[in-house]
Amino acid sequence: MHAKSAQSSFRDRTHEFQSIAEQRKKSYSSGSVPNGPSSSSKSEEQRSAVVIQSEFNRRASKIGYGIHQTSQKLAKLAKLAKRTSVFDDPTKEIQELTALIKQDITALNSAVVDLQLLSNSRNESGNISSDTTSHSTTVVDDLKNRLMSTTKEFKEVLTMRTENLKVHENRRQLFSSTTSKDSTNPFVRQRPLAARSAASTSNAPPLPWANGSPSSSQSFSGKQMDGESQPLLQHQQHHEQQKQEMVPLQDSYMQSRAEALQNVESTIHELSSIFNQLATLVSQQGEIAIRIDENMDDTVANVEGAQGALLKYLNSISSNRWLMIKIFFVLIFFLMVFLFFVA
Amino acid sequence: MALNLRQKQTECITRMLNLNQPVNATGTANEEVYKILIYDKFCQNILSPLIRVKDLRKHGVTLYFLIDKDRKPVHDVPAVYFVQPNQANIQRIMADTSRSLYDSFHLNFSSSIPRPLLEDLASGTLSSDSIQRISKVHDQYLEFVTLEDGLFSLAQKSTYVQLNDPSAGDREIEEIVERIVSGLFCVLATLAVVPIIRCPRGGPAEMVASALDQRLRDHLLSKNNLFTEGGSFVSSFQRPILCIFDRNFELAVGIQHDFRYRPLVHDVLGLRLNRLSVQGEKGGMRSYELDSSDPFWVANGSLEFPEVAVEIETQLNKYKKDVDEVNRRTGGTDGAEFDGTDLTGNTKHLMNAVNSLPELTERKQVIDKHTNIATVLLGEIKERLLDSYAKKENDMLVRGSIDRNELLGLLKGKGTKMDKLRFAIMYLISSESINQSEVESVEAALRESEVDTSAFQYVKKLKSLNASMASANSASRNNIVDWAEKIYAVTAGVKNLLSSDRQLALTRTVELLIEGRPNPEIDGYLVFDPRAPKSSSGSSHLRGPFKEAIVFMIGGGNYVEYGSLQELAQRQQPVKHVIYGTTEILTGAEFVEQLALLGHKMGLGTNVAASSH
Repeated sequence: MHAKSAQSSFRDRTHEFQSIAEQRKKSYSSGSVPNGPSSSSKSEEQRSAVVIQSEFNRRASKIGYGIHQTSQKLAKLAKLAKRTSVFDDPTKEIQELTALIKQDITALNSAVVDLQLLSNSRNESGNISSDTTSHSTTVVDDLKNRLMSTTKEFKEVLTMRTENLKVHENRRQLFSSTTSKDSTNPFVRQRPLAARSAASTSNAPPLPWANGSPSSSQSFSGKQMDGESQPLLQHQQHHEQQKQEMVPLQDSYMQSRAEALQNVESTIHELSSIFNQLATLVSQQGEIAIRIDENMDDTVANVEGAQGALLKYLNSISSNRWLMIKIFFVLIFFLMVFLFFVA
Repeated sequence: MALNLRQKQTECITRMLNLNQPVNATGTANEEVYKILIYDKFCQNILSPLIRVKDLRKHGVTLYFLIDKDRKPVHDVPAVYFVQPNQANIQRIMADTSRSLYDSFHLNFSSSIPRPLLEDLASGTLSSDSIQRISKVHDQYLEFVTLEDGLFSLAQKSTYVQLNDPSAGDREIEEIVERIVSGLFCVLATLAVVPIIRCPRGGPAEMVASALDQRLRDHLLSKNNLFTEGGSFVSSFQRPILCIFDRNFELAVGIQHDFRYRPLVHDVLGLRLNRLSVQGEKGGMRSYELDSSDPFWVANGSLEFPEVAVEIETQLNKYKKDVDEVNRRTGGTDGAEFDGTDLTGNTKHLMNAVNSLPELTERKQVIDKHTNIATVLLGEIKERLLDSYAKKENDMLVRGSIDRNELLGLLKGKGTKMDKLRFAIMYLISSESINQSEVESVEAALRESEVDTSAFQYVKKLKSLNASMASANSASRNNIVDWAEKIYAVTAGVKNLLSSDRQLALTRTVELLIEGRPNPEIDGYLVFDPRAPKSSSGSSHLRGPFKEAIVFMIGGGNYVEYGSLQELAQRQQPVKHVIYGTTEILTGAEFVEQLALLGHKMGLGTNVAASSH
């Protein structure tokens, strides 16, 4: 009932309007013919402007639609990643989806850059009104913002996925605590991890100028992986028993885990680069919470200030005039004195 | 169903921005339609407390303009117009369509556009052959300004002057009543309720109530009415009560100095549309936003000023403590051992610290803002001795009289002319009997300070009229005097102020009306029920206790009334909701100016030495 009542608090007068128009049209039908040629010439020059604008609009709406679809896919990915069952992990699906979304985002990113170039070139050439320019700039900014928020969401989903993987690992350790790996395996496994963690920490310094959140989350995920290796080591040190037949199975499983983690990490890196690109583009255009009537007051204040300045200038001019008149009189006086002496 | 006017209005505006299609869950349309918003001055005042530019962007609005501004064409983009339905705006719209500035025009009028204007628009656009550009015409019924969840204003200027003007003809009064009724109708349409209307007898309140009742009746009879509440299962307990009052019911509230935070900020610093400009600490004007998104404002708006200062201190200390703790946590982990068990814990701490930074900065901003406001307020208070004015006025109202020396001392002391005038008028209203010599000394003191005393004379005249009428009835302390037909006299409602707990008469009356039990004070009040058939005689079952109330004050209201009504709502068991509305929100100074205007119109200027009553 709430929705119904919310809907009906306005009235559609369009039909009424159109019926009035019909009535009037009938009474005007005799006089409307001479207007024909003039209106057609007006529409000619408008049509060209409309064509250019609609190209821009088409692209912008396509990008917007793309962003919308990507965010829907992202929602699906988030749901998949949230599933915490240990054995039924849809790794493959998640990886496919991740790759797909990454592709989409990169494509959208380049499309937005293209759109901006298009609008810049169009703004410089041709006689487009200033309002159209600001409109197209705002549209591009808006698309950039939305793409950036989608990318941020993507990054969050990936970090959540990493956390879940870690939880899975811990649980798996609990479940399979009787079967521990032999002492050689952890060293085999440890080195790639150590290499990767070195890589992640070395990547962290080159990106200090990135936003605070991606770098901290990167280091967080890096540290998470380090932290992940620690309980593994501890577990291995505690358990002496080995089961040879479990080793190859565990090994391949470990490998796939390592691969999955590596994938996630590389995706996060690439994301951060996209992020930075967007951030540099958008940084100047961040919109603080402005009110609609704020610029008005600024303009009024400026106009009044300008008026005051002009008045002052006027005063100074008129006072200069006074000064000039005085000087003029003095000169005349001296001229008279001179004439007196000469004459 | 809690009546949250602000939320409902925002929803309506959002829907309008979405080209009047229902908004889906994510709040954005599926297709990317970028639009341009155009409004006029009145609608800008409606929009600015509710919507920020950020929200506009979210709904796909790229540019926003005033309709009077010189605009350039933006082709292939729909434009949403949100304007008042008057002749000037229609002309502008016709000019825009003939110049084909935009691709399609969606016209939304803030109240119902009358048929003649619609026909004008049709013929105008037909003659310029651009009628196909107008895609939709809607009546939005949004012609009111909502400042907070339960506070609205119709933004109609100088209604008090116009209604009480002795030279006003019937035609003009009817027009004003019509405008007020249309504004109230918009409020009710947005809330989608048909309330039960109660008002005191006589005066503009009765006129507005009966006109509103008529309008609602006519509207409910038409086919697609705006109130889709089902007929039968809406019991009286679901319907709110609408109480309409006139400013003359309680004049003192509009004039007195109050010492609570919100009324102070409004009165002294000029809070307009939730926006405030004060001198910043580093020099230069700072502009602040004070609305329901500011937690300090919401929590402490009704405290007295000294308590507010204490509260700011407390918040500042708490903030400092939190910042120290964050520093400790993050500073301590530098060079900590990298042992496995603690590692994730450390990073978690770091993450928490980083996440809490924006929240901390926000808190600091709020504290800074209020510190600045409080400092400026303190300066004003010290300069104008506002605390002593407020205290003395309160004493006067409670006791009914004041020591003559105190009175004159204050009048000759510090404070702006307006402060002194207000104090003098408060003295006049609060004193039970008019002591002629005192009054004359007060007038002399005012004239010494070069204060224009027309407002004072006006109130004196009103009071004298009331006195002559009150002597006819037995003036017990709680009586409400009946209204005169043509002259709107001050009722003895002002005497209700002298009750010991110093509650506003308005609040007490509203409390009684909400309870609905028969009570000698409110028995004289009229009842209008637009849903009931005309012949039914005051159906008594509708007088049960109401859960929600809408209180409307004709002629000007302020934050003091709003605050006291909110207190009333909180006090009730169970908690009720009260929405307060008025024709315009006036500071004390503005209201006294209107009184002065009336004084001038009645010819009671400063030259009149002794007024005859």
